[in-house]
Amino acid sequence: MFLVPVFFGITLLVFSIERLAGDPVQLYTALNPHINEAQRQLLRQSLHLDQPIHIQYLSWLSDLLSLNLGFSYSGGSVAVLISQRLWATLELQLIGLTLSLIIAIPIGILSARKRYSVLDVTITSSSLVGTSIPIFFLGVAAILIFGYNLHWFPSGGFQSSDPSRYLYHNLLLDQAWHLFLPATVYTFAILAPVVLLVRSSMLEVLRQDYILAGRASGLSERSVMYKHGLRNALIPIVTYVGLYFGGLLAGAPVTETVFNWPGVGKLFVDYTTQLDFPVIQAVVVIITLMTLVANLVTDVTYAYIDPRIRLE
Amino acid sequence: MPWILGSGSSEVSALPDPLLHVQNLRTYFFTYAGIVKAVDDISLDVSKGETLGVVGESGSGKTVTAQSILRIVPSPGKIVDGTIEFEGKSLMKLREKDMQRIRGKDIAYVPQDPTSTLDPVYRVGEQLSEVIMRHHVISRKDALAKATDLLRSVEIPDPEIRISQYPHELSGGTKQRIAIARALAGDPVLIIADEPTTALDVTIQAQILDLLKELKNRLNVAMILITHDMGIVADVCDRVTVLYAGQVCESGTVEQVFEKPKHPYTQALLTSVPNLALRKEKLSVIPGNVPNLIEPPSGCRFNPRCPYAQQICIDKVPELEPIGEGRSVHCHRWKELDLKSPVAS
Amino acid sequence: MTSDRKMAQTTLEQRPAGGHRVSQWALAWRRLKKNKVAIAGLGIVGIFIVMAAFDRLVALYPPKCILGVSPACQLDGRLHSNSPPGLAYPLGTDITGYDVYSEIVYGTRAAFLIGVGATGLTMLIAVVIGLAAGYFGGWMDNLLMRLTEVFLVIPFFLLLLVFLQVTIKLAPANTGSIWLVVFVIGAFSWPGAARIIRGEVLRVREFEFIAASRQIGASSYRILFRHLFPNVLHIIIVLATLQIAASILTEAAVSFLGFGAPGSNTWGQQMYNSANYVEQAWWGTLFPAVFVTLMVMGFNLLGNGLRDALDPRLRE
Repeated sequence: MFLVPVFFGITLLVFSIERLAGDPVQLYTALNPHINEAQRQLLRQSLHLDQPIHIQYLSWLSDLLSLNLGFSYSGGSVAVLISQRLWATLELQLIGLTLSLIIAIPIGILSARKRYSVLDVTITSSSLVGTSIPIFFLGVAAILIFGYNLHWFPSGGFQSSDPSRYLYHNLLLDQAWHLFLPATVYTFAILAPVVLLVRSSMLEVLRQDYILAGRASGLSERSVMYKHGLRNALIPIVTYVGLYFGGLLAGAPVTETVFNWPGVGKLFVDYTTQLDFPVIQAVVVIITLMTLVANLVTDVTYAYIDPRIRLE
Repeated sequence: MPWILGSGSSEVSALPDPLLHVQNLRTYFFTYAGIVKAVDDISLDVSKGETLGVVGESGSGKTVTAQSILRIVPSPGKIVDGTIEFEGKSLMKLREKDMQRIRGKDIAYVPQDPTSTLDPVYRVGEQLSEVIMRHHVISRKDALAKATDLLRSVEIPDPEIRISQYPHELSGGTKQRIAIARALAGDPVLIIADEPTTALDVTIQAQILDLLKELKNRLNVAMILITHDMGIVADVCDRVTVLYAGQVCESGTVEQVFEKPKHPYTQALLTSVPNLALRKEKLSVIPGNVPNLIEPPSGCRFNPRCPYAQQICIDKVPELEPIGEGRSVHCHRWKELDLKSPVAS
Repeated sequence: MTSDRKMAQTTLEQRPAGGHRVSQWALAWRRLKKNKVAIAGLGIVGIFIVMAAFDRLVALYPPKCILGVSPACQLDGRLHSNSPPGLAYPLGTDITGYDVYSEIVYGTRAAFLIGVGATGLTMLIAVVIGLAAGYFGGWMDNLLMRLTEVFLVIPFFLLLLVFLQVTIKLAPANTGSIWLVVFVIGAFSWPGAARIIRGEVLRVREFEFIAASRQIGASSYRILFRHLFPNVLHIIIVLATLQIAASILTEAAVSFLGFGAPGSNTWGQQMYNSANYVEQAWWGTLFPAVFVTLMVMGFNLLGNGLRDALDPRLRE
């Protein structure tokens, strides 16, 4: 169980950054100029600031582990703030990830099958170009064209703020309408590296004799490519999805800021600007936890995919 | 009986009962570095029930020839020219769908490397029954039963246990037997075995060769045995086609070629065979390397390594010349050379 | 660089399958030249180098010149704020009245500074950790690789934002410097590269000539720097090229979100300054983003081409 020390290491890091940033009470006062001395005293006690630093850390950690995320400096409950935003983040991330896999896998396989052909060179070079296009460029361009200029889609947000302006007076349709542009842009932004990964992984597999043997046994091309080829090429792809799920989540601040998407990433940006540490810490810890869980799921998936790993 | 003459008959007539006829086959690979002419004018014939040895060094085009016959040359390779006739019909003209019905059913293939010949993520039974169900109308249960029978027919002990194992739980020899069983799944009339023993231990090699010989006699199936080992050719084959750098050097019955090689390369190959009991001269290696197939040598491709090369060999590509009794030779000077066999008695 | 190359050549000569000494790099260069995509990348990077070196010549106006106000760029004497692209300013002007094109040209130098600076630090850490873990093995390898995994799991981009915001609050005097951004990006980006270098060291270590020099009693220092380092140098070059692209991208994202050094003139900062006016004056945000994309693309294409050219095992 290597995950546990990693997790504690990161909590320690997050905690130190806060304490290095200065007196939490001062940070708090900066956001709430009108509080009195008694309230400050109360805050000092609740953060155990009168005790040595390791006690402060331990009490902070125990609060965290008992899911007592506390209150932000600006007043809201951190748990409520995050839970309100988490769904929007996951919705965008999961849809983008799923769509990009659905699109990238057949393209990558095609490219590997026809390698060195004009098609392969076209796919490979446009994917290389694609990996270089940042989402803030793609996103801003898409908003300018399809939002401001053509008015096909809203320029941002999760849903219309005024219920009377819902698309066809239906909340779900309105949300889908808002989701379309961010999801499309996000899908394309993460598509290219997956195509390259599927291609190189498939090239490795297609070299193997069982692919040749499958073809020579008269199996259909689809069976050779998907049942035997893709299944064996899956390990690096699962690793990518698992390892970078955390990375993708951490990239949420940019995506969500571009589309004004009310997710955890946007929340993080807004509260980091204020140095509102209870929120910052909670988000970092939650995203780390999700990364660790994703790694765990990856390992379990390996064993499902490959019987050789199952044995160990 | 001199074992060197193999189990083949000594008939001399040219191919009484043709099964496969390959003529002027060219298969090129279009890579970034240039066009690799892996197979450049290869012709060969196999008749029913016969075993043809295809011999050459690595890079001589043996494997690509086999893949071309089945039309499974991997990208960026393409068959650019030639005819392939099987049981009288042209395979080149078949649609991919119809070709799939021939692969594994009429013509089966045993690939080279037993370590990767089976898909590591599926059980043996699943992989065999997949092929069986592709070529027969049969239920999954019956296919699994037939798979067990196939394993038994290639002399694998405890087939009921093997059927539910994964490839990594099996030895190299067992995997190669399973690959042979898979080749038998469609009741083929021709099996192409690509160096079936190269990657195996010597004792296992002998067992696999015995199995192939036994299957050939029992099922009367024709076979193309690809190898670099003249010893195996002598042991198993009826006729032999010698390849060099994507072209045919000569072909004939095993007897003819071993007794009286007509091409300098064949002679050199026979000299370099380590385990022929009848060899008279000392073991030698052929000097030089297999040529670059992007820019092969002009004229006869063997000329840079040939001890008998003359100006004509550099200037002019020789014809593959039929010289009677079903033999053919690809050499300008075969008549005048009158080569001696290093292994003839 | 030249001394590195010399060292690499002398050692490559001793490589078992190596062939001639100069030809390793010459061959790689020949392979690279054949790769059109890589050459396109090299061309893009080259153009940017020229742009950075001669920015005063390439730009239309001096730095921070408010069109119509500053003495050096009076034009017709009216303030040109958020003006669309036109003859006097091909890519438009931003809210302050700066020529977007000229400011982008002046941002090129900062982009190189960030890319090369952060990558230098990243590769320094990655090479030290990768060489040490791969060469010494045992507990050292274990410890270093566990540390690497911790850094891989850390949501680095989030912490980067927090770090930068804290420093801006703590030391407002220092806010004009992009060195802090460079330092933090460099200090957190090394884990992936360290892992790859370690893997390569493990492979190279088994080469016969290294085993041989160990047997004849060569010192660890000598083996590490005379034998191992030159033989993993090609991997380091590839990783560094790709890391330059990644660093530039990260800085642009950080600045775009408003966490960059406010006084600096990076492309990300330019995007941030214009982001609020994107509806009226899209050129202020979009054109710097185009240049980020172009430069990142240049380094990515070059890096991938280098990988193909330097590691022929990947291509047949």
